Amino acid sequence: MSAKVKIIERKGVSYNEKLFLVEVFKGMRVTLGHFMRNFLDNSKLYVRHYPEVQPEISPRWRGRHRLTTHEDGTVKCVACFMCATNCPSHCIMIEAGERLDGKSEKMPIRFDIDLLECIYCGYCVEACPMDAIRMDTGIYSSTSSDRQSMLKGIDELLTTPGAFTEEDYKKGGV
Amino acid sequence: MSQLDILLIILRVAFGAFVPLSSVALLVWMERRGAAFFQDRAGPNRCNIMGFRAGGLIQNLADGIKLAFKEDIIPGHITHKFYFILAPVLVFMTALISFAVIPFADTLVLGGNDYVMQAIPLDIGILWFLAVVGFGVYGIILAGWSSHNKYGILGGLRAAAQVISYEIPMGLALVSLLVVYGTVNLNEIARFQGQLLFGCIPMWGFLLQPLGVVIFIVSAFAETNRTPFDLAEGESEIVAGFHVEYSAMKFALFFMGEYVAMFVSSALIITLYFGGYQIPWFTTETLISHAKPVALVLILLIPVGMYFITGWIKKNNLSHYIRLNDPRAREAKVYIWGFWIFTLVIEAILLALLLFSSGGNTTHIFVALLQIATFLLKTYAMCFVYVWVRWTLPRFRYDQLQRLGWQTLLPLALLNIFITSAVVVALS
Amino acid sequence: MAEMVKLFVNGQEVEVESGKNLIDAFEVIGIEIPHFCYHPALGSDGNCRMCLVGIEDGRPPLVPACKTPVSEGLKVQLDTEKIKKIQHDVMELELINHPIDCPVCDQAGECKLQDYYMSYDHQASRMRVPQVVKEKKMDLGCGVIHDQERCVLCARCVRFTRLITKTGELGIINRSDDARVALFPGRSLDNRYALNIVDLCPVGAMTSKDFRFKQRAWFLKRDKGICHGCSMGCNIFIDHNREKYKDDLIYRFRPRLNPEVNGYFICDEGRLGYHRENEGRLISARIGTEESSADQALQTARRRMEGADKLLILLSPNCSLEQMLAIQALAATTGATVSGFSDGSIKNGDADGYLIQDDKSANRAGLALLGVNTSPEFFESALQRTDTLVSFNNDLFITGPNQAWAKKLGEIQIIAISTHDTLFSRQAGIAIPTASYTEYAGSVINKDGILQTFGQAVCKNSAPLDMIRIAGLLGGTLTDPEALMQAMKRKIPAFAAIETDQIPEKGLKLSHNEAAHVTA
Repeated sequence: MSAKVKIIERKGVSYNEKLFLVEVFKGMRVTLGHFMRNFLDNSKLYVRHYPEVQPEISPRWRGRHRLTTHEDGTVKCVACFMCATNCPSHCIMIEAGERLDGKSEKMPIRFDIDLLECIYCGYCVEACPMDAIRMDTGIYSSTSSDRQSMLKGIDELLTTPGAFTEEDYKKGGV
Repeated sequence: MSQLDILLIILRVAFGAFVPLSSVALLVWMERRGAAFFQDRAGPNRCNIMGFRAGGLIQNLADGIKLAFKEDIIPGHITHKFYFILAPVLVFMTALISFAVIPFADTLVLGGNDYVMQAIPLDIGILWFLAVVGFGVYGIILAGWSSHNKYGILGGLRAAAQVISYEIPMGLALVSLLVVYGTVNLNEIARFQGQLLFGCIPMWGFLLQPLGVVIFIVSAFAETNRTPFDLAEGESEIVAGFHVEYSAMKFALFFMGEYVAMFVSSALIITLYFGGYQIPWFTTETLISHAKPVALVLILLIPVGMYFITGWIKKNNLSHYIRLNDPRAREAKVYIWGFWIFTLVIEAILLALLLFSSGGNTTHIFVALLQIATFLLKTYAMCFVYVWVRWTLPRFRYDQLQRLGWQTLLPLALLNIFITSAVVVALS
Repeated sequence: MAEMVKLFVNGQEVEVESGKNLIDAFEVIGIEIPHFCYHPALGSDGNCRMCLVGIEDGRPPLVPACKTPVSEGLKVQLDTEKIKKIQHDVMELELINHPIDCPVCDQAGECKLQDYYMSYDHQASRMRVPQVVKEKKMDLGCGVIHDQERCVLCARCVRFTRLITKTGELGIINRSDDARVALFPGRSLDNRYALNIVDLCPVGAMTSKDFRFKQRAWFLKRDKGICHGCSMGCNIFIDHNREKYKDDLIYRFRPRLNPEVNGYFICDEGRLGYHRENEGRLISARIGTEESSADQALQTARRRMEGADKLLILLSPNCSLEQMLAIQALAATTGATVSGFSDGSIKNGDADGYLIQDDKSANRAGLALLGVNTSPEFFESALQRTDTLVSFNNDLFITGPNQAWAKKLGEIQIIAISTHDTLFSRQAGIAIPTASYTEYAGSVINKDGILQTFGQAVCKNSAPLDMIRIAGLLGGTLTDPEALMQAMKRKIPAFAAIETDQIPEKGLKLSHNEAAHVTA
């Protein structure tokens, strides 16, 4: 199968275009159309009336992080540092320790995510070999008046519930 | 000097000073809501006083209060504090006083005395404007330089280069215009445009100078540092350019200066090219002699207009999502009542004029008010063009800006002078 | 220079040193042959079969590279389909029972099995039956943790205990898929080099209890250094890392190959010596018992030194040559007596004839070279005459407070420039923190007269001053690196002959008469 090649005409080289004026009027016609439509009936605006109307979050949305647990409630994370290694903003700080419950040898003693530094790229979720970190809490707005409370520790990460069912999450949205 | 003289001086100066100032709020509102509608957004519409949002105007109040109460910071590295403080004042004041020569109504005749409806009744008119506006850019250059900041100095340099490039075509466009009008007095220019071309078309500047009006408007955009010529600010490349180190009220002065300048240059554009305060086909003399029929037409037209406006409010001042006892509908009801009461007052005044007036001073004042309303309407329409252009066109690149100024506008302006002069000589 | 032979690799002619096996010879010219069991220090065992290479027109056509010496005209094949198949099959065999422990395994990132999987295998597992379960997390003793499941049975550890330490605690028991490394009954690892097993193990079967779960290998910055634990001057890698919002800390020392000094290994004591670089450090300067800034402490120290009648400077045998020269210059300007006496830094009978030495200081030979008197008699007589003692990282109380001098030390002013907060620095009137040997660059001479240079590895958040800088601030004249280098060249003729940047990696051997000439 050969690739389709679409040759796009180069804009801005004809005299009319270099003169700007004609093109300026064309552009202004377009924008005025939008203005008049919205001005005469502002129910036609494309925006959602946030915060009264909350957005619907897809399971693929990268919201705030959480740490998942085994069915018995123990943390899935084995402190392999893959997330911290992949993190482009270095916002994950882990301290590993011995694990004694037999699930693994290693577990995080400290697992901090600094939401002020996080860029919500989702690389930590991609990197995790244990499916231990997910960004499926559906929380898209994290605000605080002090820095310390934006540093989410392991307890908060573990107790924050996911917003989707396992099937929806696995399916990855519609 | 009679008491009336003093009163009218106060009134005219007050108009010259306060109309541009209070227009700032309106223009900022127009800019923000306009920008939003151009981009299919809603714009600021949440700020309210007891649920009354005035279509978002309250936001300006909040912003103004915020700016006034913000800490006024002068960064420690600034050595020339005097110039640093002088710069925004210069920008704002030059913009404001350049409005002084613009006539907002025809000469008012009261009790046999003539009152020129300008804040400062100067004969030099347009020359005053050119001088004062040209001075305004010193404020920007001074701000850039005294900020002691590379972005600031770049912004200042850009502003300087831009003004040099665009004052020339602007001046040349004016030259051909003045050749047509044969005067520099703005009031006479406005009165000139009250004539009719071929007996049926209003002789407005843009019809006599179709090329000149384009050159002048483009240059005026550049002079006011508005998009697409706001290279001095250029937030994508030089942060905020000349006002990067400014905060609080000093920043607010720059901000207000920009909108005052926009208002003033709109006023000038309509005075020079769009008939100023003239109502098409109705010269001052016609209006004075036919005041009663005009009032009668207004009595009939105003309720019709108001009907559409209130309908528009009712339709748009709503929450567009499911909401119990929508407070916005209630709010709209109050506005509609307000508008109808306002209409009733106007109607009553017009009716009184129709029934009890016997010409003379009352008629003259009525005509002057009509002309002021026309003037403001036209000016705001021009301001809307400013907003419209800003949210349509992206910023020019620096080389494009200079090429447009020197290689397109300058030759066109010269050509325009040549053609205009030839035509004027041929006709006379 | 060894004799060179010409042979062919994948049809290309290469020239390699004779007398080596294929793995070692090709490694020099940058061609890798994968191997698990072969290690230059332990000899070739030939049990892993990973290094099988083809010999064109050879009989046999397939040979283990570790057992095959280079010879003229040999035509070695490394990239034929057959060899690739063999490598792939060997990898598959190794991985049959290997657990997917990589997330929790400390070896991840420096694991041969991982590297070879990526280079030579890269296939999904075909294993459909449960893996063989063996013992995990066995404490073998000496801080070595063994995981039998991860083991590839290369027997490097077993051979190490037999050939190098000659203690022989380990052996391989059982056969086929149940084979495993285990201790002989009733024994545990018990030798002073046991942690080398961790480095030797190509996979994560042997891990260090000390390093366990502390850091992932890929976070660590590896800088070259010289161990200052004893006068052997073993070459090490200093693996350190500055975690976010934390200080630059060392997480482990690893041996660095130097055939002239330590070979492939270091002792456990030296390996764990990094703890001393992280802990117990003197953080801030003190005047009396009050904490103060280093500047202030230095100014006070300088005033006291100027006001002193008879100054005694005590040098540490751990200082680098440059530091010693700078401090000697300081002594010359202040008219101080210099003693190199160090109490208790020689542990008689501790040496084992391999790497561990009696002398627990790194640069005693340097002191001798620079003519500093190290005798206790000289120190004692100087101490009796002095009223101000300046100690440059010397600790008179290593073996506890010395009763004989206690009275005299209590009478005089002591200025201790110290890396650590010790009993001695606490007694000092002024204590000033200084950089330790992982935090500065310098050169030391080991017990065999080998001069080795090392660079700065660790950079602390609040880096304490180097002793050269301190000597300068106290009034010394010789602080410029260039001037120090010239002074060193005057002292050491062998050093003078070569350019500064050409000091060999293996160290510069000083001849005996050279050292003798200077000392005389």
